[in-house]
Formats: sequence, structure tokens, C-alpha cells
Amino acid sequence: MEKKLARVLKKLRRVRGLSEEEKYLFARSLAATPDERWRLHENFLRSHDLYTRSAR
Amino acid sequence: MSGAILQGVPATTLDTDIWIDLPSRQYMRVLNLCRRMGAQLRANTLVDLSDGSTVNFLYEVHGVRGFRYEYQRAKKVKWLNTEVAVLPLPRIYASKKFVGRPKDLAHLPLLEQTMKLQGRLRGR
Repeated sequence: MEKKLARVLKKLRRVRGLSEEEKYLFARSLAATPDERWRLHENFLRSHDLYTRSAR
Repeated sequence: MSGAILQGVPATTLDTDIWIDLPSRQYMRVLNLCRRMGAQLRANTLVDLSDGSTVNFLYEVHGVRGFRYEYQRAKKVKWLNTEVAVLPLPRIYASKKFVGRPKDLAHLPLLEQTMKLQGRLRGR
């Protein structure tokens, strides 16, 4: 994933209207496989204790 | 938003919407299947799976065409060791724009930006 992320980031370098952090956020998601994307999303929910109904 | 997340939109969602090609009056068929899988039923269209995740069943999706039309044009995505059909991002965008609830409208800029960046990555 790291290689692909670097490739995607390079392509997004010239995009206007996005901060470097925003470019990284999009690049990380776009470079990932669907399973990795889902894991990123799950990790976010878990880190905020929102993943399961019992937690919510 | 699950379909959008699987296609690269950096977002989160609290439940996964699954579009069912059945008339809504047959919702019990779906719920019985869920019950057999150990899910907890919360409403006619809402269940908690045994892993704690929430699934919402839809019997129609507003702002797009019928199930058969959309399914034929759906994107096939490999997810959790299986292949799932998801509405392409422009169709998710159209539906959210049509429904127009605040939480749907809040997703539009994110969807738009992702589609734009995907176009750039494809060299368009």
C-alpha cells in the first residue's frame, strides 16, 4: 500500500484547493483496497467508541 | 455510505444499507434470515449483526432508477472475501442529492471531491 500511496500522492500534488493534509486523507483512502478502506472506517468508529450499538 | 467508503470516499457510517429486490411487505423474509444468523432485530428494516454492526434494509432507493436497472450497472467490489454490488459514486451522489436530508447533503462535497480526484488519477 505504501508504494501505491506514494504514487497517488504524487499525482495529487498539483491539485488545487486542498491542503496537504486533505490530499493525504484522500490519497490514503484512494490507494487502499476496499477491505483496507473498510478497516480505516472501522478503526475511526472504534477509536471513538461508536462501532457497536452497545458502545453507542 | 458503505458503498461510497468501499469506493474510496474517506467517510464513516454507523450502519450499512442493503437494497433488497423484494416488495417491502415481504420484510419478514429478510428478518427471519437475519434471526437465523443470530442478529438482533431492532425494527422492520434494522438489525444488529452478531459482530455488533448495524444493517439497514432498503426496499426502494430514491433519486435513482429501479433495482434491476441499477444492479446491472452496479460496481462489483471484493469485500470481506466476497463480491458485493455497490451503486457507483455518481448514483450515490444523485440519490443523496435527491433525498436532501442534512446528513445526505453533508456528504455531497466529499463524494464530489473523491470523484474529481479519481478522474485525475485516471488521467482525465
